[in-house]
Amino acid sequence: MRRLLALALLLTTPAAAAPQRVVSINLCADQFLVTLADPAQIAALSPLATDPALSAVAEQARAFPRVRPSAEAALALDPDLVIAGAWGGREAEAILARRGIAVLRLPLAEDFATIRAQLLQVGAALGQHQRAAGLAEALDRRLAAITPSGGEAGLVWQAAGFTPGRGTLADAVLRAAGRTNAAAFSGYGTVRLEALLNNPPSLLVLPARAQGGGTSLAEALLAHPALRALPVRPIEPAWLACGSFETVRAAEALAR
Amino acid sequence: MIALLAAAAGAASLLVGAAGPGLPPADILWQIRLPRALLALLSGAALGASGASLQGLLRNRLADPGLLGFSGCASLGAVLAFYFGLYDANPLALPLAALAGALAGAALLLGFARRAEGTTLILAGVALAALASAAVTLALALAPSPFALAEITVWLLGSLEDRAPMHLLLAGPPIVLGCALLVSARGKLDALALGEPTAASLGVDPRRLARQVAIGVALCVGGATAVAGSVGFVGLIVPNLLRPLLGERPSLLVVPAACAGALLLVLADIAVRLIPTAQELRLGVLTALLGAPVLAWAALRGGRP
Repeated sequence: MRRLLALALLLTTPAAAAPQRVVSINLCADQFLVTLADPAQIAALSPLATDPALSAVAEQARAFPRVRPSAEAALALDPDLVIAGAWGGREAEAILARRGIAVLRLPLAEDFATIRAQLLQVGAALGQHQRAAGLAEALDRRLAAITPSGGEAGLVWQAAGFTPGRGTLADAVLRAAGRTNAAAFSGYGTVRLEALLNNPPSLLVLPARAQGGGTSLAEALLAHPALRALPVRPIEPAWLACGSFETVRAAEALAR
Repeated sequence: MIALLAAAAGAASLLVGAAGPGLPPADILWQIRLPRALLALLSGAALGASGASLQGLLRNRLADPGLLGFSGCASLGAVLAFYFGLYDANPLALPLAALAGALAGAALLLGFARRAEGTTLILAGVALAALASAAVTLALALAPSPFALAEITVWLLGSLEDRAPMHLLLAGPPIVLGCALLVSARGKLDALALGEPTAASLGVDPRRLARQVAIGVALCVGGATAVAGSVGFVGLIVPNLLRPLLGERPSLLVVPAACAGALLLVLADIAVRLIPTAQELRLGVLTALLGAPVLAWAALRGGRP
């Protein structure tokens, strides 16, 4: 009965029926929740929400409590809506659903069409239709305003040489910026330093900051002196970590 | 002769890498492959000389900086310095911390050596090595970087992938100094082979000699581990393979062992680049494949020279 009620609440549009205690247990869901919800609607975010290397809303996220991404921790907050990510947490979702709590599962957003659709979807679930429509329109406007670069190949190179290929969010960003992806494989792969130098891209895109704020061999690779000769553009890694409204800033940065 | 072979292998290793076989473009050659080849030569020499000297000092042919825990302790020092901010403040902290770790390991082991010998001493070293590897794992698990724990294979098995010229400056001086100490101690190790009283009557102070060798080994292992992680078995394999050719005397073994260690590590470093794995294989995998049989063989012979 409570579950039906929750679903009914989700599906009805008036602002009065909007969920008032929303918990996100996923980094990418955090991005949408912080951008779309009234601060009073947010009960908690995932623990990664405040890492500036992963979360494009790290600054705003600091104002909210963070919760371990488990059903038990989420239940303790007595939420009326839980937003989860693409993977994991099936058991958590089942437990929450049994308790009559609505769970919204966001698949991975790997292109701008999906980002746009998820803005509207989460906006509807939060009862923030207007804000969502405004952001979707702003996304369209800013994507259309990008002056595409001349089709040169770019390579997005991350810690330990991890590289997004075809069909990934970074690939969509490169294309929106008017570039091609120098990584020819589909999905994610590794490009070794020597292979990179042997066949250098027109633009090497590196993360502008380290994850977790610590040092690692994986991230030290990105500062190898042999890279100094290449055209490097550092960008905020959080823009590419999750498909969100802020991802448009990556496309703007790479078009220039 | 062995030195020439090592130099030739070092030169050949310049032709192998992810960019494809043959001489690479200048920046890859100077910034990646040359530092890598020199680091393999230096680290191999350091480990070979350390193994030969330790085997002479402890009068035990099973002694090896990896097996006895020196490399593990050096890895722990390097991991603490690298992942917890000291290296960012000053890169010199990396070799210094590895050196401190190796020295602490050497001091502990020489303490054991006063009470135990033969296989018992080796077992004490194995215990120290196990402790060090657990501490390395714990430190990496606690490190702030999310990539730290995945890098455990580098620190426990060793790798020279994508090193830079700066690593030569960090590892070179301690290794050269350490090798010099070990080379100058090699004559006295011969006297020690006759037993401590005889050595003392020949004017060799066993305690002073032990300190000199310990510091030499710590400098060598600290320098090598700071840049390559802990590569096991090189110090064990090399002297045991050379003994049938050169005899038992430490004075005749230390320098050839350094050259053969350099040769062995360069060959291992070429092999990890040629074996087609998704991620580059770690050096310690190959040295253990060679080293474990040598260990078993030496152990069956009783461990004593």
